[in-house]
This record gives sequence, C-alpha cells and structure tokens, in this order.
Amino acid sequence: MGPSPRTGASLFLRSLRSTSLPFGGPVSEQDTPTDAPSAVVTTSAIDASDSLAPAADERLLYRSIFQRLFIRPEVGAIIGIVGIWTFFWAVSETFGTVGQTFGWLDTASTVGIMAVAVSMLMIGGEFDLSSGAMTGAMGMLIIYLVKETGELGGRGFPLVIAIPISLLIALGIGYVNGLVVERTGQPSFIITLGTFFALIGLKLGLAKRFVGQIQIGRTDEAADFDFFRLIFAAEWERNGHELEVRDALYIGCFAAGFAILALAFSELWFKRREDMQPAGLVMFFVGVGLGVGGLLGLHATDGTAANAALVAVMAIGGFVGLFGWATWRYEPSVDHGALSLDSQMRRRLGLGMAAMVLSFIVAIAIDSSSTNQILFPFTTQGVRVILYLLLAGIGIGLIAMASQAALSVNAATKFAVTAVFALAIGIVALTVFVDSSDTKFRGSLFGVVLAAAVTVLIWAVLTFRFEERRTGSARADRLGTRLLALGSVLLFVGVAFRMLFITAEELAAGVPPAKTSVRLLWFILFTIAMMWVLARTRFGSWTFAVGGNKEAARQVGVPAGRTKTQLFMLVSVAAWFVGLLVAFRINSIQANSGDGQEFIFIIAAVVGGTLLTGGYGTAFGGAIGACILSIPAIGISSARWNTDWRFLIVGVILLLAVVSNKFLRNKAEGIRR
Amino acid sequence: MKTSKKLLALLPALALVAASCGGSDSSSEGSTDTAASSDSAAPAETNAPEEVDQTQAGDLTFHMITHSDDGPFWSVLKRGADAAAADLGVTLVWKPGVNDAQVMVQDIEAAIAEGSDGIAASLPDPDALVGPLQAAVAAGVPVITLNSGSNDYQAIGALTHVGQSEVIAGNGAGQRFNDAGATKILCGQQEQGNVALTERCEGLAETFSGEVVIEFMGLDADTTEQQNTINAALAADPDIDGFMGVGPVITLSGLRAAQDLGRDLTIGGFDLTPELIGEIEAGNIAFTVDQQQYLQGYMPVLLLFLNVTNQNTLGGGLPILTGPGFVTPDNAAQILALSEVGTR
Repeated sequence: MGPSPRTGASLFLRSLRSTSLPFGGPVSEQDTPTDAPSAVVTTSAIDASDSLAPAADERLLYRSIFQRLFIRPEVGAIIGIVGIWTFFWAVSETFGTVGQTFGWLDTASTVGIMAVAVSMLMIGGEFDLSSGAMTGAMGMLIIYLVKETGELGGRGFPLVIAIPISLLIALGIGYVNGLVVERTGQPSFIITLGTFFALIGLKLGLAKRFVGQIQIGRTDEAADFDFFRLIFAAEWERNGHELEVRDALYIGCFAAGFAILALAFSELWFKRREDMQPAGLVMFFVGVGLGVGGLLGLHATDGTAANAALVAVMAIGGFVGLFGWATWRYEPSVDHGALSLDSQMRRRLGLGMAAMVLSFIVAIAIDSSSTNQILFPFTTQGVRVILYLLLAGIGIGLIAMASQAALSVNAATKFAVTAVFALAIGIVALTVFVDSSDTKFRGSLFGVVLAAAVTVLIWAVLTFRFEERRTGSARADRLGTRLLALGSVLLFVGVAFRMLFITAEELAAGVPPAKTSVRLLWFILFTIAMMWVLARTRFGSWTFAVGGNKEAARQVGVPAGRTKTQLFMLVSVAAWFVGLLVAFRINSIQANSGDGQEFIFIIAAVVGGTLLTGGYGTAFGGAIGACILSIPAIGISSARWNTDWRFLIVGVILLLAVVSNKFLRNKAEGIRR
Repeated sequence: MKTSKKLLALLPALALVAASCGGSDSSSEGSTDTAASSDSAAPAETNAPEEVDQTQAGDLTFHMITHSDDGPFWSVLKRGADAAAADLGVTLVWKPGVNDAQVMVQDIEAAIAEGSDGIAASLPDPDALVGPLQAAVAAGVPVITLNSGSNDYQAIGALTHVGQSEVIAGNGAGQRFNDAGATKILCGQQEQGNVALTERCEGLAETFSGEVVIEFMGLDADTTEQQNTINAALAADPDIDGFMGVGPVITLSGLRAAQDLGRDLTIGGFDLTPELIGEIEAGNIAFTVDQQQYLQGYMPVLLLFLNVTNQNTLGGGLPILTGPGFVTPDNAAQILALSEVGTR
C-alpha cells in the first residue's frame, strides 16, 4: 500500500524538503516558525515586506486565523467536549458544580494519562492491549514490595526502593512487548493480547502465592508513605481554602484573558498600518481605564443591578479599548461597496429571522413546568425544549449560511448580514432571560449568549471599519500567537481560581465540599509534556513517521524498531505511574483492577481524533477523549437517569466522534490544500 | 485374529474390575460393575461396612465449574473447595471461572466425558446450564449447585443447592436499615445484568420501609469512576440517607464518596474484605452481609464425597443456606483475623 498524500510520513518527508519548519512537526503547520532562523527561504520575503512596501509572495496561500485554528486536529475533540458538557450541564442541577467537575476530572485523570500514552502508541501505529492489566499489576507490585514481611507479607521495602524497582520492571515489560512485536513482525494486537493474559494470570497467581489472597492491601505500611503520599495523592479540599478577593481575581483574569484574546485575533486578522495613529492609543487607554474601573467597582459593590451596570461599563470599556487599538494599529478599510443581497441571501435571512421569532414564541407559549407525557418518552417540557432547539437551530443555521455567503461579496453586505446574525443570537439571549425560571439558566446561560451576541456585533463593526490582511506576516503571527497563548493561560488561571478557592458568602450558603487531588495536576503536566514531545522533538516526528508508513520512514533513516519499542515502554511507564496513583489513592489493589480498561483507553484516543491506522492524532486529543468518556458517567448519575444507559451513550459518542472527526479532517484537508 | 484382539481388550477391563472390587467384602459386584467406567463409584453396599473405604477416595475426581474465580469473594470460595479436597484426599479440578454460559456448558460436558465423580456448578444462566447438568445426572454423575441456581437445582435433579438466597439476604439487610432509621437507600451495583445482584437489591426493597433506588454505579475494575459516580448521585439527591453496596469494593467506594461529601449515611455491604471489616470495626459501616462463601466451596465437595462413598444426602431436598450471616461492630474483630488469612 502506498502512502496517501497526507499521512504522517509524507508530511514528515515534505517538511524535510521545505526548510521553513525546523522540526518537521507534520500536523502543526499552524505553528508558524516563531524561532525560525533568518536564512529561512519562504518567510523572509514577507518578513522584509513588513517594513517596506508590501511585496507579498502570491505563491503562498494565505489562511486566516480561523482557518488555521480549524485545521488543528484537536478541533473535533474540543467541539465534542463542549457539546457533551453543555448537554449534561443543561439536564442536571448539580453537574456544573465545582464538586462534580472535580469528580469527572478525577475520573478522567487516571484514564487520561493512559489515554495520552496509548494515543502516542496508536499514532506510532501499534496497539497495546495489556495496558489496562498492567496498571493493576504495577499497583499490586508496589504494594507487594512495601507490605511488611510476615505470614501474609510482602517484601517490606521502603517506597524509595520499591518505586524504582517497579519502574524497571514496567520498562522491562514494555521493552519485551516492543521487542516481540519487532522481531516476530506479528500485529501488536495479538502480541499484547498475549501479554494481557499473561499479566492477568500472573497477578492472580502471584498474589495468592505470596500474599495468600487476591486483594493486596495497605500501601500505608511502607515506612516513607507520608512523604510519597504528598507527591502522589495529596488532596485539596476546596472548602478549607477561603480567599476573599477570589471573585475580583477570577473576573479580572477572565476580563484580561478575553481582552488579550480579542487583541490576538485582531492582530492575526487585520492588516497593519505603516504609520501608527497615536489618537487610537489614547482611545485604547481610555477603554482600559473603563475596564479596570468597572472591575474595581465590581469588587467593591454588591447587588445584581449594580453588578449588571458595572459589567456593562466593563464591556463598553472593552469595546472602546479594542476600537482604539485597532485605530492605532490597523489599516482602515476604504471601499465598502454597496449593500447587495441576492435573492438566496434574502430568503435565508428572512426565513432565519422568522424561525428565531417563532422559537421565541414557542418558548413563551408552551408551559415549561408541565410534565405531562404527550408521547413517550417526551413530556410537554421536553417537547418544548426540542421544538425550541429545532427552530433556533434552523434559524441560526440559515443566517450563518447567509453570512458565509456574504463574506465574499463586499464589506457593506458582510456587515449587514453579520449584524443580523448578532441580532439572532440576541433573540436567543432574550428568550433565555425572559422565560427561564431556573436561576442557573438565567444567570450563566444568559450571560454567555449575550456575550456571544455582543462579540459578533463588535466583530462586525471592526471588520467593517478595518482592512483584513490577505497575506501572511511572520511578525504579526508571532505577536498574535503569543497573545493567544497568553490570553488562554489567563482564562485557565481564572477558572482555576474559581474552582480552587471559595469565598465567605459561598461557605455561609453551604456549598457542598469539593475535593481535588494532585492526580489532576499530574494528568495536566503529562499531557503538556507529551504534546511538546510530539510537536517539538525528533522523537515526536519519528512517531508520526513510523505510524504513517514504517518502511518509508526506515528508508529515510528513522529507526523504526527502536521508536516503536520506546513507545511501548512509554505506555508501560504510564501504566506504572497510574498504578502508583491508584495504589496511593485507595490503599489497596484488587487483582482484577484495570482489567478491561485498555479498550476505554483506545476509545478515548479515537474519540480524541487519533486514527486507528496510525500516523495521525494528538496527545491533547487523547486527554480530551478521556474527559469526554468520563463526563457521561458522572453526568447521568447527576441527572438521576437510569445508569444502565451509560454504555449506550458511550457507544453513541464513539460513533459520533468517529464520523465527525472524519468530516472535520476532510474539511481541514480542503483548507490545507 | 479378531477373537484374540477382543480377548486382549477384555484383559485390562477385567483387571480394572478386579482392582475396583478389591478390599470390599461385598458379594454384589456383578450387578453394578461395568467394564467401561474405570473410576466408577463404589458398588452399592447392602450390608453397611463399619467405615468408608479410604483407598477409594484417592480415585475420586470432582469438578467445580463456576462463573468467576477472581475477586475477594470467589478466591475465598475456591480456598474452601481446595481445603475440602485436601482434607478428604480427593482430587478437585477447578475449571477457570468465566462468565460465559457457552464455556461453562463445554466444561460440564468435558467433565462428564472425563468420567467425573461429581460436579459442583454455579448457575448464572440457568436456561443454558440446566440441560447439560441434567445430562450429567442421567449419566450417573451426582451434581450439586452452588452460589446461584436455587430455583433450578431441583429441575436438574441435583442433590442440593449450597448457597445463599439473595432475596433472603436482601430481606435481612432491609430489616437492618429499618432498625437504623434510614428513609431512602441507594442500592449500588458493580455489574449490569447480574441476576444475583439485582435480587439482593430487590430483597432489600421488599422489607425496607422507605424508598430504594437501584442503579449500576461503575465496575470494580475502576474504583475511581465508581466512587465519583456514587458521589454524583449523592450530590444530586440530598434525600438519600443510606447506601447498600452489593459487593465489598463498591461498598467501600460508597463510603469514600459519602465521606468526601461530608454526608452521614447508613452504609451496608455484601461480602467481606479485611478493609471492609476494618471500617465496620471503626463504626463507619453499619454491617455487611456475609455469605460464608468458604462453605459454598467446602460443602459441595464434602457432600459429593459423602454421596459417592456413602450415598448420603443432606438438606432434605431443600437448599442449604450458608447465609446471611452479618458482620457488625460486635463480631468484626474476630472475623477480621480470619478474613486476613483469606478463609472468611
């Protein structure tokens, strides 16, 4: 079978030929070479052009920031998790709370570490069916090593010795897996199946032989347990950590984060002026001042009306600041053209607005509290929600299609249609506000939808006023991507503040306890580390290469066998680590712990966008896939539905994920072409 | 040529017949001995000897075919069976426990073909297993059912059933929750589609005076998920003030979830592990229902042996119940010591 044009191997080879990507990360074309040497051929022409008259290289295809974000392989996974989280948030009272969020994050942590490792192995083109059993085996091994000697005893080692010993054994098992797969040339599926059964039998037999029973208990018999417990199982009890300024901090982070993201998108979208306008800077600072003032006011005052007013002040400050920044920095757009809506657009807009108005009426008219069953399993309530979603979906969809078409007409049309789009979202916000009796929906959902409407409107105004960049620019990309990263980090920090700390009022109101542990931190660190390995190291490129086409990779000098063996060892080490985490968490391991979990890991990897055939995927996708799989377990229980449906939902998710990932991949390739 | 071959074939058979009759004073060999069965049962004794002939025990091979052999429950059961075999000097063949009726049917048929002296089997799927076991009985192999199958052992023609009626056990648990004053119980299961586990919860619902919610809460293989699922359920429903786990691992997960939420629940469990008993001793768990699965392994082997060697039956045609025994804070300490050696 020949390599298809866009598998990992061919992209790797292509990247070797072009000198513009120093590390040859095949799926990270959107990472423009921020540290590329200046002797780089393709971008230097544009580099120079920033200070001189623009002599754009028309051979290069310009891709807007949105397109570049869209072709990232993680997009499918992110859409998936947002969708499924929102679904369970909507149907359950308690799912969105911090306690339950920590709950599914905790479940996802141990599965996620393995899913990331298994993703990497699958990108490399292999499977490891022994990964689940290995987590249990490693946990058992550690407890066996540290148990006090005696009639039912283990070896009595301190943890500081037991941990390296077990790590070596894990590496050994991984090495054996890789070696056997390499030497025999048999599918790894079969070889690791053999390891799987061997491990199961070994676990059971050794446990009974040495310890006399099949549940090995008491990690805490080890001498240095307390020290290591801090590292592997330290816990953070939210209700014990009160922070008075928490709200100001997290809202400040959110506001700053969104502001910086807005600046980032502007930098990446609009065309730079040659001469900056100082008047714009003044406006920018006025806007920043308004924003900060609003924030301080929020911290000082209380009450819904005051809060709403201050948030409005902050929003106005944000708009003014953004407009000022854009005036200072970006080229104004001159030729707007005349408003021209063709008949198809008009029809779509008309029908779309009609659908939105209808949806509003439906939401108001039908009784939202009635639980009469009209048609099994739908109640009046349910029918109302379904009708509303259908109408609103059709409306928004039609208008979105119209605005997509309007993008290529002229600026005036674009502005008009986008404004209508903003209006449509505003109608949704209005519906939520007017009708929802449930405070949760009224508060957070209204805020989110209103913010979305305002964002679209602001974007429409800005794109009307300023010129879109039509050529690439390395400097703008550098600044823009750095601002993007900074903004995202700020948002993350804001969320972390909100989740980790509690305020006095919340404590007094009796918020239920929420507990998280250091396992989550390990999960995040491991995912980031593996993302870095895949994108920025030689080993990562080799992984993609051997997964795409092993023989072709070998021909260009990639040590295929060694890479695959190292990937197997990576999975074993991850299993060892997860075994450690579980052993420290619950103090004992059952002989059947982890059995059968290997399929969950593979499903998590596939849901996250990794291909079963190898050569394509991401570590981040694996992590998100693990989260997507753990959300239904907690969500169904929170919604008090029949938990028997859980595996049905997992199956449906898997199917949807596979289909949508394929669809998104095709679209991405269309853009990439 | 042919006749000499036939004679040759008869020789070993005659030798074996002679050997199997050796040592007994009985004069009734002719009616019961057949050349085909080499490990056949001792001939029917019309005049009872003073003691059971010990040398015959060494020839006896019993087969135990169950639907699981891991987990804290089954390993203790297997230990009981092995202990009985060692005590009695018989050979016990334990077929690997697989929760697949197909595999169990094949194991039963293989046991009959191997000339088993007795079969002890559990019936997770009665429809599939009743037929082969009836065939075993028809072939002269005594059958005892254990653990699951209290409704079907008579149809098979089994000597008896050794187990715990899950419904009766659940009833007992329900009484205890009533005494503790609980009003709404979450009955968490660690497997889906397991009849025994569902019967436990339904038995609980029969005697408990309040409301019982029966749900699957995650597999034992991933205790993290189990604990978080129970946590989610408890957080979503503040009315729940009792938790019944139908297995030891899920009971502990329920305890941890309740502790994380700071909720004071009445917690009851099924089956034993040292950790669970430790929690009972500490007072965090109210009780656990003890099936005494050690007996479920020991008794079938013993009863088969007595039936084969002495034509005894026990139980009067009714099942022999090994539970429910209850482990409470009063007797926890003693049971803990036994659980740590793996016999309870």
